[in-house]
Amino acid sequence: MKNVKITAGSIILILCGLIILSCGGNGGQAKLTWWQFWTDPAIKPTIEKMVADYEATNPGIDIEITDLTWANGHEKIVVAFSSGTAPDIIELGSDWVAEFSYNNQLASMTKDVIEDTAGFFGWTPGIYNNEIYAFPWILGTRVLFINRDLARQAGYDDRFIPVNWEDLRGVCYDINKLGKDIYGFGSNAAEKHRLYKKVLPFLWAQDGTIITENGKYAVFASEKTIKAIEFYKELHDSCSMVDTQRRLEDAFLEGRIGVIISGDWLLKRIKNEGLKINFLTTLIPGPNYPGKSFVGGEYLAVSQASKNKEKAIRFIKYITSKENQLAFCKANYSANPSNKEAARDPFFMDDENLQIFVKQLEMSRVPCATPQWVYIEDIIEKAIEDILFNDAPIADEVYEANSEIQKLIDSQ
Amino acid sequence: MRGRFSGYLFASPWIITFGLFWLFPLLYSLALSFTDYRLMQASYDWVGLGNFVRLFSDKSFLLALKNTFIFVFGTIPFTTVIALILALLIEKNFKGRTIFRSGFFMPSITSMVVIALIFSNLYSRGGYLHILADMIGLSPPENGFLLSSKTALLSVMAMDIWMSVGYYMLLFLAGLKSIPGELYEAAEIAGAGFFRKLFSITLPLLKPVALFIVVINTIKSFQVFVEIFVMTRGNYNTSTAVYFVYESGLNRFEFGYASAAAYILFLIIAGFSIIQFRLFRQDRLT
Repeated sequence: MKNVKITAGSIILILCGLIILSCGGNGGQAKLTWWQFWTDPAIKPTIEKMVADYEATNPGIDIEITDLTWANGHEKIVVAFSSGTAPDIIELGSDWVAEFSYNNQLASMTKDVIEDTAGFFGWTPGIYNNEIYAFPWILGTRVLFINRDLARQAGYDDRFIPVNWEDLRGVCYDINKLGKDIYGFGSNAAEKHRLYKKVLPFLWAQDGTIITENGKYAVFASEKTIKAIEFYKELHDSCSMVDTQRRLEDAFLEGRIGVIISGDWLLKRIKNEGLKINFLTTLIPGPNYPGKSFVGGEYLAVSQASKNKEKAIRFIKYITSKENQLAFCKANYSANPSNKEAARDPFFMDDENLQIFVKQLEMSRVPCATPQWVYIEDIIEKAIEDILFNDAPIADEVYEANSEIQKLIDSQ
Repeated sequence: MRGRFSGYLFASPWIITFGLFWLFPLLYSLALSFTDYRLMQASYDWVGLGNFVRLFSDKSFLLALKNTFIFVFGTIPFTTVIALILALLIEKNFKGRTIFRSGFFMPSITSMVVIALIFSNLYSRGGYLHILADMIGLSPPENGFLLSSKTALLSVMAMDIWMSVGYYMLLFLAGLKSIPGELYEAAEIAGAGFFRKLFSITLPLLKPVALFIVVINTIKSFQVFVEIFVMTRGNYNTSTAVYFVYESGLNRFEFGYASAAAYILFLIIAGFSIIQFRLFRQDRLT
């Protein structure tokens, strides 16, 4: 009996010791969890190095990285928020910030970052109801890529750049006349989340928009929208190869398309694959120069449930610093850092293509920061699909889409 | 008593799995279909039949439902008839029969995703099927079969027929094997020709197999998803009912709405299955 008591007492003592050790074992160490999407072997080591450097200079902080993929990252984040298991820091696509802010899943960082706003591009998607919920990190805009060889064959000299719609129409038509398997323009197939990004810049170039700034009224039905879609449809019907973005880029690189709209990933592809293609990049033209482009990007946000909000914001500021954004862009050949100081670095200024992306970013815009964007995007893409691929009357589709968007706004 | 307990014990892995992963989600989603539940939403309300009413005024859902019916009624007759013809041809003894049998069955054991990707290329501009159609003067859509609202769904259906016939051919072959040879011998003695034997012996005796094939093919076709997901993502008027459920549930996270759509599909499939089983029962009674 005595032995039993001694054994039980020893076990209790050991357990208590273990509990005390486990409570104090971290010695004040804070663990920050970070979900991010950069899994490419070209860039992941750079991110890991940034994190290691941060941990080395901040001994109390331990960062745990979890990789997400664009195929199902959004689903995982939604499930994590719903089940209360969201990480401290999350990388978000620009379209998602309003959705998560609206659902009270993100912590406001207005007070902590308000002084930084002047030094960074791309705040709009990170702001919801006048509060900043996400910090812009790496942005992405689209520019015009022109195959110089095809343009030359069509009679355009190397100094030619299309500065308005008339120029763009002309060069596309002329290149299209070069041969049976040569196309003037690359027009996107009805790919979800892609098609609207190619058409809306033609609306923005005329200062048109989808909903009013106060978010209360749909203004998609306008002469500007009709004019924008008419112009895109003319290119689509008359001188385009119509295919998925990837196939259009393949055809452009094979010298079968004269003009396409694409992003910095195409520059990266040309560089990484060592492709010998004579091309130039230029700003997307408007009816009268200059036009506007679409901008999206990666944003860093802090979960509302995080117990280390202050530390998380400090880490976000570190990751988005000039040095780190430069290191990131050099490793990934990204063209659009959100940090303005980084964007002025010779790495961008001395490269004529990257420079165009930096310039275009200043003349780009996001669709609209609303939690209902996912539905609005669907409505717009459906209308554009019907117009481009089923020859539906432009005005009818635009007005119907507008009334559906208004219904959505009213139902909120 | 002990025997009964051990019986339950042995069955418990299945019972627990069934209850946890089948029955509970089934009932839970039924309850959700009467609510406006969305992921991330702090609370949700009972909306009664609101989701069902909304579905029947939702153009996307109605289009998805229409496409599903087109898919079902456009594939099942072809799949069944072609599978039957192949089974009749392959049943005969000839050299290399095994090669044909394996060849026809091969698509059924190949991953649907792999087949869908291969066909996406075949259907695209410059793909073999696109070139072939052009050569024989069918004037295919300029940008490929899957990038046109007129041909996208039909193309997915054609691929589905090609992929499914092998499996149903095997079922028909099993049915043919079960027909007693004496019946054919007696018919031949009576002077019956090929068609007489086909319509008086083969087809009537294959009816249970044919009905079985139609039932399982109906259920499978109403649930068409992978092909659409891989090949068109629901674009070019190819969205189907299950794809709609996926979009509403896993893209927009409207679980209540998606559950209601899933239950409408469930009722449709159940209705068709009941009709077909009744036909089957009548056939057995007569």
